Amino acid sequence: MRDFLRRVLNTEFLPMSEVRRIKVSLVMIFLLVMTAVTIPFSIFLDYKAQTKIIVIALLLVFFLVMVFSIRWNKSMLAMHLTIIYSVALTMFYTLGSATLYAYLFFYITLVIIIFYQEIFAYLVYGGLVLLFGIFYTIIHQDGLVLTNDIPGSAYIYIAFLIIFYFVFFIQIFLNEKFYTDLNYEWVQMNHVVDKYQDHILFYMDIIRKEMKDSAFYEDLDFQKAADELSAFIYEQFNQSGKDIINVLDLYLYIHERGIEKILENEEFSISTKKIANRLSKYLLDQRTEMFSMIINFHTKFRQTSPYKENRYLYDIESITAETDEQIIAIALIYLYLSNEIIGLNEWEEMNKVLTSEELDNLFLSPEMESFMSSNHLGFFKDNYELFKEHLSKKKK
Amino acid sequence: MANKKPFIFSQIETYRKQLEIKHLQTNNRFVVGIVLFMMISYLVYMLVSGYAFIETIPLMVGFLVVLILNIANRAYGKEHNEFYQLNQYITTVGLFSLSIAIIFLFQSPAMVIGLFLAYTVSAFYQDLKVLLLSNIILLFTVIMIIVHYPQFLGLESAALDSRIGISFFFVAFMIILSLSSYLIIKQKSFFFNQISSSKESEFRNLDLIIDLKERIGETKESDDLYFESLSNFLAAFCKKIKSENIFEEKVEILKLLNKDISFEEILTKYPEYTAEDLSRMEDLLISKHHKLRKAAMKISYMKGLVVEKREIFSETQFKSFNHQSDSMEIKIIAFVLFYTALKKGFALLPGLDEKSIFEALNDSDFYYYMDPRIVKIYHDNSEVFDAIVKDAFKKKVKK
Repeated sequence: MRDFLRRVLNTEFLPMSEVRRIKVSLVMIFLLVMTAVTIPFSIFLDYKAQTKIIVIALLLVFFLVMVFSIRWNKSMLAMHLTIIYSVALTMFYTLGSATLYAYLFFYITLVIIIFYQEIFAYLVYGGLVLLFGIFYTIIHQDGLVLTNDIPGSAYIYIAFLIIFYFVFFIQIFLNEKFYTDLNYEWVQMNHVVDKYQDHILFYMDIIRKEMKDSAFYEDLDFQKAADELSAFIYEQFNQSGKDIINVLDLYLYIHERGIEKILENEEFSISTKKIANRLSKYLLDQRTEMFSMIINFHTKFRQTSPYKENRYLYDIESITAETDEQIIAIALIYLYLSNEIIGLNEWEEMNKVLTSEELDNLFLSPEMESFMSSNHLGFFKDNYELFKEHLSKKKK
Repeated sequence: MANKKPFIFSQIETYRKQLEIKHLQTNNRFVVGIVLFMMISYLVYMLVSGYAFIETIPLMVGFLVVLILNIANRAYGKEHNEFYQLNQYITTVGLFSLSIAIIFLFQSPAMVIGLFLAYTVSAFYQDLKVLLLSNIILLFTVIMIIVHYPQFLGLESAALDSRIGISFFFVAFMIILSLSSYLIIKQKSFFFNQISSSKESEFRNLDLIIDLKERIGETKESDDLYFESLSNFLAAFCKKIKSENIFEEKVEILKLLNKDISFEEILTKYPEYTAEDLSRMEDLLISKHHKLRKAAMKISYMKGLVVEKREIFSETQFKSFNHQSDSMEIKIIAFVLFYTALKKGFALLPGLDEKSIFEALNDSDFYYYMDPRIVKIYHDNSEVFDAIVKDAFKKKVKK
């Protein structure tokens, strides 16, 4: 329970799939409380005793299915089940009563659907609840409207429900768009950083070989330290340290044989292959999650230039607002791209200068639009000959 | 939220705030639109229901005050960002005040639902303090109505259980919507954290690549060649447009900056420039770790970069040592390898001392990317960890 609460409080450090699991669990707790609290209330509903017992029994069975689906990691299915459950609960209470309580149930159900922030679920299930709510208000307006109520109060109930639905529709739609855009930017950033780290690994390997240093996984001192630390931590969980050493041995073996060969080898059990597959994201001889986290952590301790407002902006307009300086910047970027070793070979290694054609393609590619405005690219096209003549790679 | 651990890269705090404000401005536009819509709806209802126009004026003024304060705060927010924050609170309080006024004016259960709308609109701000404020106002208003004005809900002759029932529904609504807003805020923070951390990582990774290239002797073309070609190009361009060479002076300054000549010395020679100009022009250098070189490097890495649709929202993008799918053994091994590698170090990244690792792992947001049980063991036994590694590396690592 403590772990669950900690996860809820730290959801900003969890991936989306885990957040969805948390959401489903929270809704299930909420529905359980709602059902438990409102079951006594069902005594007053206009149903036969038989119907009440059958519905409550069905709801309980449904709840159990939800519990199992979350245990089996089917959080998407569990999400739909919780929504259907809450809709069913609403129908049960509203069809058996005509009071303000019942009307408020529509809001509760809409809020449960809103909780998931899934646009299609909201459109479909939320739309159904809205239609049912409107229908209910029209049919049961006598139970909702007071004797000396204000003019058109039944329509106000309907109007509020519709506005509520559409305000949240706008919110979910905006959030979905916003998160998709953020996610796209994040994935793009990750790809670029991965590319940087591919080269960092490549350069580090050159330096390591130059220094005649052994790789981590071949370094016996490194292995000894990892062995002892793993056993030490594992023992704190009251487990035998020997068990974890087997996993560590497998980890080191993956470096020797390669993950593909281990996965292809029929002599290994499925569970070993599963463990190997999970360990593969922590390999040290490739640009893995482990390598990436080590580099990112380590760079904290390197000197860096003081913060400037344009620290993370690389487009020319953010570097300088002066037109003459922007022209200088375009010329220097062209010079850099035409003179430096930035061309990739077939193994994705940067080991050649770009050809004139590759450079033109790069300069006129869509990626360039993140760095240069249409005016800048227009300047390049208008003065293409000058760029070629003065800024292309000089043959030595 | 004050006890949240600080970011491992302190630089990202400002950028994160910028992202927050940008998002807040977008959401505020929708809030204004909805308030405007509510104001028009109210006016239409009053006129259609046969109320005298004069009766509509007090609340119309209320709506206009909320809108004017919102616009004013936004205008001031351009100068001082605190006004954007203030705007959220004022608009939230304003919306609830209007809803309460409507309840007292009409004294109908139908109008009590207006509180839900006020709550919904303020939820647009996706801010924890606004959320808390909305909850407090909603809770107190509902208690006030049920205890002192039950007739507004048609409960004047109702039994205690009916009053408790209505309270329960309001509280249930509030709890689930608060949780929903809370998780939305957290999700937003997740992306803001990840994007800003990636930006800082990019900045630092580019620095590292520059240093590694230099270390292995993969040097850049000489700066003299750059300046010579640049001068020729600019002279030819000026000739083409039949103008005098307006770039000459700036290129000369760039050359001086490239030679690390102090700002004072340059400003003595070129008094018409300011230190701010020079600081900006430093970014135009294509050498060392300067901005333009990083921009050019980034362009070269962006070449052919494609983001597949299936990669968006994919969990594989999330880097952590606390994946739910990993067993405890795997999590321990990941942590141990990470720790040992940090101690040993890499080329140009020397092994880190125990104090640096301890502080960064326990007192930064990096803490959240590891299993808390493992970090706790490390926290309580860091000296043992240090001794084990030192012993294995025969004291080659830093103290």
